[in-house]
Formats: sequence, C-alpha cells, structure tokens
Amino acid sequence: MNAPTAAPTIASATRDPIAFELFKNSVAAIADEMAVTVHRTSYTSVVKNNMDFSTAFADGDGVIVAQGLTLSGHLGAIPVALQSVMKCFEGDIHPGDVFAMNDPFEGGMHLPDIFVFQPIFVDGKRLAFACTIAHHTDVGGRVPGSSAADSTEIFQEGIRIPPIKLYDRGVKNFTFFRIFEANVRVPDKVVGDLTAQLSACYVAEKQFLELVERYGADTVSFFMKEINIYAERVTRAAIEKLPDGEWSFEDWIDDDGVDRDKPIRLFVTVRKHGDEMEVDYTGSSPQVRGAINSTYSYSCGSAWTAVRAILPQDIPNAEGASRPIKVVAPEGTIANVIMPGACAARAMTGFRMTDATFGALAQMLPDNGMTASDGGNTNVSIGGYYRDRKSFIYVDFTCGSWGARAFDDGHDGLSHIKGNMASHAVESIEAEYPIQFLSYEFVPDKFGPGKYRGGAPYKRDYRFLEGEAVLSVRADRKRFPAFGLYGGQPGRPSENVLNPGTPQEEPLTGKFTRAIHRGDVFRTVLAGGGGWGDPLERDPLRVLRDVRNELLSDALARSQYGVVIDRKAWAVDEAVTQALRASARKARGGAALPFVTHAWPADFDGTDIRAIEAAKK
Amino acid sequence: MSTVPRQNTPTYRVGVDIGGTFTDIVFLSEDGRLLTKKISSSVDNYALAIVQGLGDLFREHGLVGRDVDVLRHGTTVGSNAILEHKGVLTGLICSEGFRDILEIRNLRRPHLYNIVWNKPQPLVERYLRLPVDERINAQGEVEVALDIAQVEQVVDRMLVEGVEAIAVCLKNSYLNPVHEYAIKQVIESRAPGLPHCVSHDVLPEIKEYERTSTTTVNAYILPIVERYLQTLRASLDAAGIHAKLLLMQSNGGLITDAEAARMPVNIVESGPAGGVVGAQALAKKLGLAQIVTFDMGGTTAKASIVEDGEVSRATEYSVGGGIMIGSRLLTGSGYLLRVPAIDLAEVGAGGGSIVRVDAGGAVRVGPDSAGAFPGPVCYGKGGTEPTITDCNVVLGYINPQHLVQGELSLDASKSRSAVAEKVAGPLGLSPEHAAYAAFKIAGSNMMRAIRAVSVERGRDVRGFSLFAFGGNGPLFGADLAQSLGMKLVVVPPSAGLFSSFGLLYADVEHHYSRTFRRVLSTAGVSDINAAWDKLIAHGRAQLEAEGFPPERIRIRKFADMHYKGQSYELAVPAPDAPLDATTVPVLEETFAKEYERTYGHRSPSSIPIEMVNIKVIALGLPERALVPEALHDVRAERPAPPPRQVYFGPQAGWQRTPILRRSDLAKKTDGPLIVEDYDSTCVVPPGATAELDAYGNVLIRL
Repeated sequence: MNAPTAAPTIASATRDPIAFELFKNSVAAIADEMAVTVHRTSYTSVVKNNMDFSTAFADGDGVIVAQGLTLSGHLGAIPVALQSVMKCFEGDIHPGDVFAMNDPFEGGMHLPDIFVFQPIFVDGKRLAFACTIAHHTDVGGRVPGSSAADSTEIFQEGIRIPPIKLYDRGVKNFTFFRIFEANVRVPDKVVGDLTAQLSACYVAEKQFLELVERYGADTVSFFMKEINIYAERVTRAAIEKLPDGEWSFEDWIDDDGVDRDKPIRLFVTVRKHGDEMEVDYTGSSPQVRGAINSTYSYSCGSAWTAVRAILPQDIPNAEGASRPIKVVAPEGTIANVIMPGACAARAMTGFRMTDATFGALAQMLPDNGMTASDGGNTNVSIGGYYRDRKSFIYVDFTCGSWGARAFDDGHDGLSHIKGNMASHAVESIEAEYPIQFLSYEFVPDKFGPGKYRGGAPYKRDYRFLEGEAVLSVRADRKRFPAFGLYGGQPGRPSENVLNPGTPQEEPLTGKFTRAIHRGDVFRTVLAGGGGWGDPLERDPLRVLRDVRNELLSDALARSQYGVVIDRKAWAVDEAVTQALRASARKARGGAALPFVTHAWPADFDGTDIRAIEAAKK
Repeated sequence: MSTVPRQNTPTYRVGVDIGGTFTDIVFLSEDGRLLTKKISSSVDNYALAIVQGLGDLFREHGLVGRDVDVLRHGTTVGSNAILEHKGVLTGLICSEGFRDILEIRNLRRPHLYNIVWNKPQPLVERYLRLPVDERINAQGEVEVALDIAQVEQVVDRMLVEGVEAIAVCLKNSYLNPVHEYAIKQVIESRAPGLPHCVSHDVLPEIKEYERTSTTTVNAYILPIVERYLQTLRASLDAAGIHAKLLLMQSNGGLITDAEAARMPVNIVESGPAGGVVGAQALAKKLGLAQIVTFDMGGTTAKASIVEDGEVSRATEYSVGGGIMIGSRLLTGSGYLLRVPAIDLAEVGAGGGSIVRVDAGGAVRVGPDSAGAFPGPVCYGKGGTEPTITDCNVVLGYINPQHLVQGELSLDASKSRSAVAEKVAGPLGLSPEHAAYAAFKIAGSNMMRAIRAVSVERGRDVRGFSLFAFGGNGPLFGADLAQSLGMKLVVVPPSAGLFSSFGLLYADVEHHYSRTFRRVLSTAGVSDINAAWDKLIAHGRAQLEAEGFPPERIRIRKFADMHYKGQSYELAVPAPDAPLDATTVPVLEETFAKEYERTYGHRSPSSIPIEMVNIKVIALGLPERALVPEALHDVRAERPAPPPRQVYFGPQAGWQRTPILRRSDLAKKTDGPLIVEDYDSTCVVPPGATAELDAYGNVLIRL
C-alpha cells in the first residue's frame, strides 16, 4: 500500500479537491518561473527592464491553464496564436519541435511580438505547450524599433513570420535564423531575447515532466482540463450576480499619425444576461491607414481585462475564465484589422478599448471599476548608429496615470491595468545608451478632479547624445483627454515637445517619426487620469495632501474642489471651504451631474464623422 | 567588577529573538547546558520583556549577570517601524528633475487584474522630497555643479518642517559621491547631530530607485533602532548584564550594536535569519551538505536552502510586500531594500490561516489569518472561522486539551464543529477528510516556498534534507518531505524557538559591495584587484576595531556577473587570491556553470561575461567552536500523555498513535507517533521512523 501521506494520486478519485489544488498551484508556479527566466536572461531593455513579455502554460489541445505574472493584455492573444500554429502544423507536431510566429494576419498581434511555443510530449503523447511571447526591440522595417504609428501597410513594419518551426525534431532551422538575423537591426540582442524565450520553454518542460512523474500523465491531463472547467465555473458564478442589461460607451482616439487630426471612434456595447457577457465593438471606426489597428486577438484581451478587473480576484488566470465573455469586433474595423493594414502601434488602441469598456461597465456598476487612464503606454523609440556604425535601439513603453476608481483615487505612477510594464532604471539607460535623462517626475495640476481624483501624470526629458537618430513616438489623449465619470472631471491632455524652454522649442504631435540630433531634448508628458464622482464631495484632507505635496495649486483646489488651504497651519480652512462648496452647489441649481464628462476639442463635432463612417458601412 | 566567572558556573551565550507575539530566550553554555524561556513580547518597549525574561531565567537557575558572556539578538524593531509606518519624519534630498523616484518605484503591479490593490505609501511624502540643482553624467563627471546656498535652503526648509532624519540620493552618485558628500557637510553644519544617510555610503550601486529606497529606509528607521538599542543597553546594564550585544543581520551574520545603529537597514529581516544560520551550523555538525530549512509559525511559512554548507543570499527583497516567493519576480509590492539577505521564500500559511470553500467548490487556505486574536476556534477567544490549527486538532496531530505544556488550553469540540460546518459540509466530506484536505493544501502552499528556493533554481530537492522548526514546522515537516521526495527530516531541539537558538551559532559578518562594471576578458586585473582590496581593507579595519585579531578574520570575495547586455546578475564566489591571467577564466567558468545550472543553457561564447558589482564578506571567527558536542535541556520533561486516535488520510485512516517525549526516542521507533515538546508538536507518519541523535535532534527517516 502507498504511504498514506504521499502525494495523492488520481487513480481512485476523479474529484479529489486536494490533489487538484496541489496541481493548480504547481502549474501556476511553472508559468511564473518561465517569466522569471525570460526576465533574467534577456538582453534588450524592452524585455529585461520594461518587461514587455508574457508566459503561459497550455494543455495538449493548446488551451491556456496558467499565465505568469506578466501582461494582462496578452492572455487573450496567446490562445489565438497557438491555435493558428496548431492548425498550420496539424499532423506535423513532434517531440523536439519549437514553433514561432508573429504575423498579425495569422493570429499574431503586431510584428515585434514574437510567439514561441514548445509542445511537450510524454511517451509520444502531446500533453502540453509552453508558451512565451516577447516584444522584440527590432524586427526590421522602415523605422528602428519597428513600432512606428505612422506606417501604412504591414510591409513597412518589418519581417513577417508566419507559423514556422524554429526547431524541427530537435534540429535548428538555420535557414530561418539566417534570414531573420539579416533583417533585424540588432541581431545578436534580438536572437539573445529569442534564446531567453527558448530557455523559459526548457524550464517549463523540465518542471512539467516532474509533475507528470509525480501524478501520472492521465491525471495531469485530466487536471489541466479541470482547471479550465473550474475557472469557467467561478467566472459564471460571479457574472450571474451582476445586473442584466445593455450599456454603451463612446470615446475617440486623437488620430492615427497619418491622417493628422482625424479622430477615430471607439464604440463599445456591453450586454449581460444570466451568467454570460458580450463585449461588442461594433460602431467603432473602420480600420485606418496608420499602424494603430488592433487585431481581434488583442481586442479580446482588451475586453477581458476590463471585465476581469470588476470580477472577484481569485479566479485562476486560465482560458476558461474568458469563455463566458464573448467579444465581437467586426472585420475591417479599428478593432479587427484585415490585410494589409498596419498594426505595429496597435497597443494604444487596445488600452483605449479597455478604458472605453470600463466606461460601459461603470453604468452597470456605479460602485465598481474605474474611469479613463492616460491612454495606455506612450512608446518612445530612439534608434541610430554610433560612430563605428554599430547600431543602437532604445525602446520604451511608459504609462503611469490611472483613472480614478469608484472607491479610491487613481494611482500616480503605476502601469496601466492592461499592461504591467516596469520602468527602466534611468542610470542603467544612461550607462547603456547615448541618452541622458533630465527629468522623470510628476507634473502638478494635471489629474482629473473628482471625489476620487485621477492619477498624476509624469514627464520625461530625454537628451540625445550621439550624432543623429530616428525618434519615433506613439502617444495619445492630446486632443481627447481621459474622461471623468459620475461628476468626475477629465484629466489634462498629454504633451510632446522638442527642446522645451529654449529658442528652438517645437511642439510635436502625438504620433510621429523624425530625425533628432546631438543635444536635442525630447519631452513627453503623459495625460492625467480622469476623476470619479463629485469633486465637491472630495475629502478636504485629500485636497490638503495634494496641495502640500505640490501636485495641486491653491487656485485649482479652490476652483475645482471648493477647498481653501491655510498654508501657515497646513490645515483646511473649514469655514471658507464650507461656504465655497455651498455656493458652488447652489450655482448648479440642483442639476444632476452627468454620468460622463469629456473635454473634447471645442471645434469637435463627432456627429459628422459618425455619419460619414456609418455611410461607409 | 570581576570578569572572572564564578567557580563551577559555566558562562552562557544568550540568544534573544523578538517576534510580534513572543520573545524567545535561549541560554547555552560551552558544555551544552540549554535553558529556554518563551514569554509574551512587551510591544511598547521590547527591552522590558527581554530584561524580565533574563531575570526569570537567572532566578530559576541561580545565575547572575556576569554569567552571560555575550547576548545575541534578533529583532523585528526595524521591520515593524517600516510596516507600521512608525519610522521618523524623514526628508529626502534628490536631483533636480527626479523628485518622485521613491514614489514612482518600478511601475509594476503584483496582480494581473486587480484594481483594488494600492501602492504602499511612500515613506517620505512629496513635500519632504526636495530636489537640488546638480547633474553628474553617466561617466561620473560633474555637468552642473552643486549650489551650496540652495542646499542650505533645502536643509533649512526640512528643519522647519521638523524632520528627524535626512536621506540623500542623487542620480549617478554611485559613480561620484562628490555632491552627496558636500550635502552631508551642509547637514552636519546646519543641524549637528541630526541623523542622515547618503546613498554612496549606504549602497554605492547603480539603479536609482533601488538606491533611493534603501537609503531612505535606512534614514527612516535609524533613530528608532538607535533609540531601541540604547534603551536595551541601558536596561541590561541596570540589570547587571554587561555582556557584549550583537545583532543578527538579514544576511545571517552578526554585527555590533553600534554598527547596527549606523546601518539599521541591515537588520530589518533579523528574525528569520537566525533559524537558517542555526540550521546551517547543525547541518555541518551532522555532515549534511544540502538542506532546506522550513520555518513555520502562526501566520507564515518560510523556506531557504543551505548548499555545500553555504546559506543562499538574495541581493534585494521587499518588506511588507505581502507574501513573497522570494525576491524572484519583480512584483512592485512592499518596500524595496537592496541589501544582502538570506534568500527566504515566504507564503501565507501558518497555524492561524483560515480555511474555507470558495464559489467554485475548491478548498482555500489563507492568505487571511485569524492571527493571535481571535486566533483558531479551539482557543475559545471568539474565533469562528476554522484555521489550520483547528484542522490539526481535528486530525489529532495537536493535543486536544492544551498547548505549551498546559499553559494554553484548547477546546477540540469547537474545532470539530467549525470544520464540519464550514468545510466538510459544503464538500460533502467527513470532518476528518475535510481537515486532511486543508492540511494537504496548506502543505502545497508551503511546497511553493520550498520549490521557489530549490527546484526553481535548478536544484533537485530530493537530494536535500529538511530542517523543520518554528511552532508548526515539525508538524508539517515529514509530510512535506514525503511529497517532495526528500528522505530525511531533522527537527532540532527547542524547535519552537529555534530562531533564537540559531543566533548562538552565527558569526560576526560584514558585507561590502560596489558597482564595478567591466567586461572580464578585457578589463585589467590590477584595476579589479585594487577595487577589491579597498573593500577588503574596509572589512579588516571594521573587524579589528571590533577586537578581532588578524588570525580570526576571514575574507571572502564575490562578484555579481551577467552576460553583457543582460540586466540580472548571478553572484558567484571569486578566488581568494588576487585575480591574474589564469584565474580570470576560472571566474568566468564559475559563472557560466552557475548560469547553466539555473537557466538550463549557456550563452554563445561570442557574448562576453561582464562583472557588475564586486562584493566582500569579512568574517570575524569565534575563538572556540560555537556548536557544543552535546546538548542537555535542563527543563524537566512531563510525563507523556496517553496514546490517541490520529487521522493520516483516507487510505491509512484513523490510527491509535503513541504520544512520546523527545527522550523516549533514544531508540529508533516506527511511526505513526507524535512527539510533544514544550514549544512544538512533531508528527511522524506511518511508514516513517524517528530517533534522537547526540545533539538532541529528532531525525525522521522516510
């Protein structure tokens, strides 16, 4: 007889809650350990410092059972990519194979995101897939960093990798590696990062085989299915508790970087019935010329992120959790690009789709969720050549001002809920690249007021130290700032400037590609997060704290919140504050506060564009 | 006063470990006499409980102050000040344009879809983070000179605000401290005696957030720790105990109280380190090269490894980051300290962890805990949610009437009904099966901690022995070891207060590091050697000042290295002798081997290996061996309780199980059996054997 305290086996029990929980923990640990491996063995800043990568573990049918502590938005994309690879190689998947792909038109997201999948076999039977995706610092194309917002077709954006084998039954595909290395700007580093992905798969395989040894192959397969059944069950139970109904929300993207100042519409409808939800992006603009078109897989991740954020936290990060949440995104729209649309900078659209979805969800749940953030990360890529003709590429994705939450302020300086990028250490960047930072700090008076205020944005000043380089930037919310909800006010817009405070000062648009030269200083200021709830209801002590911390001026404390601070005592002047707030309320004349407040450009009248876009359909 | 010990009375080394709930005191004489005491901590003034506990032991055993040779101390005073935000009002002087480094942190979130989580409040509010205009570039050259008049204004403004300490951290100061030192001078002249720390002294390493956070924490807790140590010293002196006071550091080495007061950031994780060091010393005595330490108390379980006799160290960790799987993945939680610390993985699984069934029908254990109050249901202090301790009562592992040899009484029926109602009912299982499920799931959480420090770093844990201690460690040890395929569990004497016991086996130790970025194959060895020699000279000087003669000083060198272009380093030992053309390739190979062991591959030889930080550990060796040949616990053992029914899972079921005392294990005995100690309960499952070794350890073989 087995020793009774040995790890339980499934032989007898099909519903053994003990062994199941043990296994669930073990698989989650594999996905995290894969993430540690990529983080620690990668070479380019965007992967090792920015942490723009994800890891996951899937069962033998390619269904995700665990995601590592990486980027929320990727969870939706990995299954689509993996299914594409499996379909392409049906009947030709063997031990020793490793697959790669990046093509947005075959299940990818955008060209810099290269997926690496390794099937794991036990006794000839395919039991699992180790999955990684990393944002590569360069995959060729017209602009260093391969992330330009102003490309107009996929062929400008770099090398397209349809589903291929990196390794075929253990044999390295030298042909691919040779072609790949010849088409990217910093091949040794990019291949180094690809190796980091391979290492993560190796680590996953080793740990998974230990699990198989402990539990047996049948039990392991059974449990992996069971994790998704469980995840779906808890998600349905949570959705069931939400009110039924239908809610829509509209927001606008500044432009696509090509057709300057032509706003792009995002429209989302959330439908909830019983234990299912539908997130429908019908009504969003047709796909655009610039590279901000989202893929269906990425749009799914955007929708799921918002919905998951308002559900209980203990749902496993497995694919089953998204089964009850259907995502609709018509083909040929900004939410579902078709050939030959460009999409390198699609992340911005995805972040904005998440924000818009929060807008719809807030109508369903007035005390849960959040308002609009800074619009997702701003991409700054600086690429060029040193005097010795060696190339350098600095790629950074930076975000930080959250929208206010229904129950608390938005965060100052924290990665967007849809991403989880880390910030590079300024000193490490300066040690490795011809770039010097002149500032990286919060900017006052920019967050959206509210009972709970939006997050304070930060600015970064980059001074360029080499001869010449190409600077490519993708920012948004310059013309359409983050909205406020339930009486909360919008945040202030983003800004891009070249050589601020000098005679050469030059305002810049949100999305552009241009040359810069030695000594040029590029400043980017994020947009402020939107506020939630009536600013007159904000706890005056919170206003005091912001004033004291020089994040809010006295003038705005008075005009936005009706709060007056006694600077000598560092206290709220209660009497004046009460009087101010009373008269501000009176001035409203008892009018109800609007659900949403935008700060769209004065000359913007969306009705024309809406009509034109409707006619195009 | 005579320093000669009284005749026939041995002198004692004393270990004192303060936790949130209990203060543990252990006396050990050179000939192995062991005296122990567990008393409630005096939270308002920790020194009170220490002096009271020492006084109790003196009275019980007829000792006086001069019988104590040295007092070794582990304390949570530093971590409590951080966690409870009870440090002093601190100012932070930073570079113009970089006022918010401390608050922006690294932007990372510790959960994927969580919008409720909040960033920890910065320890210094923005109005006390004041920039000065200056710039040092990435080559260490001054580009914008410091304006002293502006510094004076900034310092004065802070003084007006009433700061009690000032931290200084400027960009690129790791390369050139000239501006930081100039600011230091201004502080010293404007505010003589005001505690202050500059980052170049605290952590001369690249990465501004890590350096700023570490320097700020040091300043923030410095006056608290200093005051505490002064009070403790004065209380000891008043009680006639003039023995030297040594503090445990997070890295497992001891420092003097004076040094701890200067660099308190080194003693923040003082508590858990003691147990690991104690296990390391015992393992050496037992000839066990590879061990996993497992320390489980009321709220958390912590694991670490000792490999080839060496503890494993992390280069940074977070305080209050919630439950951490070591320092493994940048999570963005807690307060970051970049100081060497014993690499502990911690999970929220302790005796107080609450057990429930979730909406999906899965059993969940923790991370919420019933804590010391109301505590487990069986304590009868108002707890209503079943905990792991309640499950252990249901299973018969824990004595159904009382703990701590009668000092705490239990009500087993309360445990049974809570488990039946809240767990067994919803699952459709018997209470004992449900309790067993919770026991195994708690165990699986703890296995994550053990795996994080072993398997996930490429170590095959099956070749390791498990050292189980803490109040609940010996209860879970055998089961965990079995699940992980380990063959031997060691339950040390006084397992429940082993963290304090372990203090007695630690060495005096100072760690130094400095950023020194060079590609190894092209760097001049004389440069590297000169940099290392400087750190070594610091170490020697410090130890000599503390009274160590040269022959009792040992220097060890390490280097943090990576493949050029990577951002994460592995620390590897460097040869003792200065580097030369033959030893550089040896160092490179040491790194490559460690890299391969950890990540499963080496990088192509075309990628050069780069050294990032050089490090030195200066050890002050004891005059005599610290571990005695044998231990004699002088506490009188109580008679063993009668056998009871104990549940060992659905297959083995209930078994009539003898309850033994440690001394009953002189001969190898077959499980199932339970050893009830004063401070812990050890479970030996069926199929395992247990015996006592010469050092008082219970050895469980599986």
